[in-house]
Amino acid sequence: MSVNQLSEDAFYNLIDDLNSKGTTVVAPVRNEVGMVQYEKVTSSKDNFAFDEVIGRYSPKDAFFPQHETVLRYREGENGVEVKAEEPEINDTVLLGIRPCDAAAMISLNKVFTWDYIDNLFTERRKKAVIISIACNEADESCYCTSVGFAPDGKEGSDLLFSKIKGGGYLAEALTDEGETFIANNSTCFSKKDKSVELEPIAEVTDLGVNIEHIKRWLDKKENFEHKVWDDLAAKCVGCGGCTFVCPTCHCFDLVDEPYGDQGKRVKNWDGCQFDHFTLHASGHNPREHQPQRWRNRFHCKFKIYPDRFEKKGCVGCGRCIRVCPVNLDITEAMIEITAMES
Amino acid sequence: MIESLRSKSKELLENGTVSLVIGYAEGSKKGKTKPFFAYSSEDCDKLTFSPQCVNNLTIYLTRKFTFMKKGKVAIVAKGCDVKTINVLIQENQLKRDDVIILGMSCDGVVGKDIVHDGEQLPDENKSIKCLTCDVKTPIDYDHLFGEEIKSEALEPMTGGIYDAVKEVKAMSWSDRWKYWMDHFERCIKCYACKKVCPLCYCDVCITEKSRPQWIETSAHARGNYAWNIKRAMDLAGRCTFCGECDRSCPAEIPLNIINQELAMTVYDSFENYTAGYQTDVTPPFVSFKEEDKEDFIK
Repeated sequence: MSVNQLSEDAFYNLIDDLNSKGTTVVAPVRNEVGMVQYEKVTSSKDNFAFDEVIGRYSPKDAFFPQHETVLRYREGENGVEVKAEEPEINDTVLLGIRPCDAAAMISLNKVFTWDYIDNLFTERRKKAVIISIACNEADESCYCTSVGFAPDGKEGSDLLFSKIKGGGYLAEALTDEGETFIANNSTCFSKKDKSVELEPIAEVTDLGVNIEHIKRWLDKKENFEHKVWDDLAAKCVGCGGCTFVCPTCHCFDLVDEPYGDQGKRVKNWDGCQFDHFTLHASGHNPREHQPQRWRNRFHCKFKIYPDRFEKKGCVGCGRCIRVCPVNLDITEAMIEITAMES
Repeated sequence: MIESLRSKSKELLENGTVSLVIGYAEGSKKGKTKPFFAYSSEDCDKLTFSPQCVNNLTIYLTRKFTFMKKGKVAIVAKGCDVKTINVLIQENQLKRDDVIILGMSCDGVVGKDIVHDGEQLPDENKSIKCLTCDVKTPIDYDHLFGEEIKSEALEPMTGGIYDAVKEVKAMSWSDRWKYWMDHFERCIKCYACKKVCPLCYCDVCITEKSRPQWIETSAHARGNYAWNIKRAMDLAGRCTFCGECDRSCPAEIPLNIINQELAMTVYDSFENYTAGYQTDVTPPFVSFKEEDKEDFIK
């Protein structure tokens, strides 16, 4: 695979070039209230935030939007007419997401192609090129290296950009799609200069955890009702903050929104931390209390994902820690469980 | 202050007065504390108090958390948190005898996303609610920790958040509409606002009612508008301005502004009523008077 480089100017020209070709460009921008989000950008003059440690939300909604219509229905003379929604899916470039978020896309893809192929997700993924920028900075919530990833990790990206000292990026193609992207936008890229020196890669706190040991502990049936869940998660208030900002959380709900004799079926994000998520029609709720719901999320990351999809469920982006209103820190559970199993 | 809080908590647990002390412990990250439940004397050594103690712990007194309650509890409460306890008592969600209030003298807590070390907190690092605080010494407590702090006499509904509300209110209708719609557009329906609110204690929330679906689950303009307006309206005349919803909102929606706009309206319309100061008066939205000034209600 080839390694090229592009100057600071070429980097921003690339955004304009892609837009002029009709490609959707999604990049980190600082919005009007100061949050950094991955949004569609239209010009190289947008309020970019490529140096931000990480966006507030994950970029998963580029492929798995929080809200989308899957079908429309109408009561006609011959019964109910149903029409599947076929959204126009544009060529898209995710420019400047972080390696952890790119790695998460592999895990998400596994879920959406498991027993049922979710065309809305897979079509968007197929038409997208993922360009990650290696992290030169981490904050105290980042822990990618503790779950087997790296601030300059390559998993899930088509191209990895690394910041060059003094400006510009080194561009490493990681997939055929990445190579094609460079070929199609060759005016922005130049041959790698031998003397090129990169900005140092971020140092990420090592939690000293072992995810194999965590998995082994979770596999033991007697630990399902372990008191650690109550100890850690009794304070959880049950909001959906952690699941909605998480790059691998993927649960959704299908609901009908009727308007008279017509309506649409929509697919909306849902989260296992909500009390009604597992509520049965009978009124029974198998996860009656919040610590059980929090245990489920932890299981999903460190046991269910590896068991069912042979993938990691947590990429260490740290968003759930940053967003939690009660400082329920997943790494505390990881540390405690590692200690119990070692 | 912390030492006497710990020793009083130990005493209450050891002599069986309470089975649980709800307080704060050091958090997992710099400048953070976390809610903490002390069930034993040993646990009490972890209790702490500082300007980083932002959470309103009274949420753990509401029915959402009945599973962890075993008898009487003690709770560490700042002046603003005690106002919430008063509303819970007023709304028959709690009896005063059910709880031992460990009142904390408090000269302000940190604002959202502010990392502050040390005790002395400058005004610019304070939460906006602290700028107009008149309960630095709680109005009710069983035990008080820290020196009594006299709150300055304040002009009601002036300064801090109230000035921010007035700025929004001064906008034209169309600008205000745009202001709110732009903010609500960012809502991701994580419902952190309702989940951290001690006064959102319904067993079943209207958002979970699906026959019919009163509040659409979609995070589109209509669904977001419906939810945010509904939540704010439910708190009219009840919100004690603990600011937890605003602090917890990952989408940075200025919920303090909408809540306090309603509080100001209630103040103007219901004989200067302010929630959280009295437990023995009927809240305005559940009272009825034959001499009501509005005709439509008669």
